[in-house]
Amino acid sequence: MFKRSDESLIAKALNGDQHAWQQLVNRHQSALFYFGLRLLGSQEDASDLLQDVLMVMCRNLGQYRGDSSFKSWLFGIANYRAMDMLRRRKYTDSDDALAEMPAEAAEMPEQLATQQQQQQVQQQLRKLPIEQRLVLELKFYQQFTFDEIATQLAISSNTVKSRFYAALDKMRLQLESDHVEQSANF
Amino acid sequence: MSNNQQIFEDWLEGKLTEQQCQQQLQFDPVWLDRMLNVQAMRADAAAPRFEVVPEFDSSALFAKQWQRPKPQRSWWPQVSLALSCVAMIISLSPAQLQLKDGSLTLSWQNTEAEVNAAVSTALTAYQHEQQQWLLQQLDFQQQNTSTQLVLLKDYLQNELKHDQRSDMLLLVEYLNQQRQSDWQYWQENYQPVQANYRPTDSYYLSPTNTGVVKP
Repeated sequence: MFKRSDESLIAKALNGDQHAWQQLVNRHQSALFYFGLRLLGSQEDASDLLQDVLMVMCRNLGQYRGDSSFKSWLFGIANYRAMDMLRRRKYTDSDDALAEMPAEAAEMPEQLATQQQQQQVQQQLRKLPIEQRLVLELKFYQQFTFDEIATQLAISSNTVKSRFYAALDKMRLQLESDHVEQSANF
Repeated sequence: MSNNQQIFEDWLEGKLTEQQCQQQLQFDPVWLDRMLNVQAMRADAAAPRFEVVPEFDSSALFAKQWQRPKPQRSWWPQVSLALSCVAMIISLSPAQLQLKDGSLTLSWQNTEAEVNAAVSTALTAYQHEQQQWLLQQLDFQQQNTSTQLVLLKDYLQNELKHDQRSDMLLLVEYLNQQRQSDWQYWQENYQPVQANYRPTDSYYLSPTNTGVVKP
């Protein structure tokens, strides 16, 4: 089926088309919510972030000029609001999000293994500094290029890359220390 | 940028396959570990999420910010236009709606025959009308001519009378002049002679110095 572009939906929404606005929200709200969930760690915070971003998006929809993709523009807002929330609430790492994972999500052994692997990745990500975690989130979960991430965070592309590699190295060190702990436990 | 970093970034951008990248980075454990971490994160990103996205009704927010009240539209112009179109279609099409004896009948007419019959009737009526008009015109013309002839006759008669009268007057005048001339001649030539001659037994008066003496 023919899918309208974000730009077309924005143009319609700016003319007061409620249906176009709802389509635009439906298209991006899942990504925004899971972005918030991974970054902030709880469903309440992720929900707050989603609501906050949608409000800002609604208020500033007329300011979107089409210089970058709409998703990139939207995540520019989301990054800023998420960082702001983290700074204001003095966010501390917790396992809330993992605790809120539904129990029926993995019943088969393969699914259980996959879920354990995901939990491990999430834990490693959670231990990273927020700037590095944000770069990995935008790179792998939102599929942005280094240049797009640089534009969203208003930093240079080289800074993005250095944060990216630093995050990967930190994850490697965490894995090694985890292995050492597990060996010591045995 | 090192060669390994270039290889790694080419793989990230999809320019190299996983095998090609692993083969080229096999002697550098740091880059291989980075690659493994990236693979784990990619797998995590590709895995489905089961958390329910909360419902957030943004329609009120949107309506407040961007929706303007719809202009009040009157449907009467559209209804009027639609009815006009229907009327035009009915009048142009061979369909006919007839209300007869309290029942509405929709019928399809042979338009050409009907038009021909109508034209023929109209032509006959026109011809009849023209004939009537011509007859009236002829009658009127005849009456007019008769009237004019009578008037001409009267005029001529009057003129003739007038001329005759004038001639008679001239004749009378001429005769009067002749008589006057004769009388004058008579007076001048014969009266004196006649005055001197009077018979004795003349009855007529003879003038005297003392007046008239009757015989």
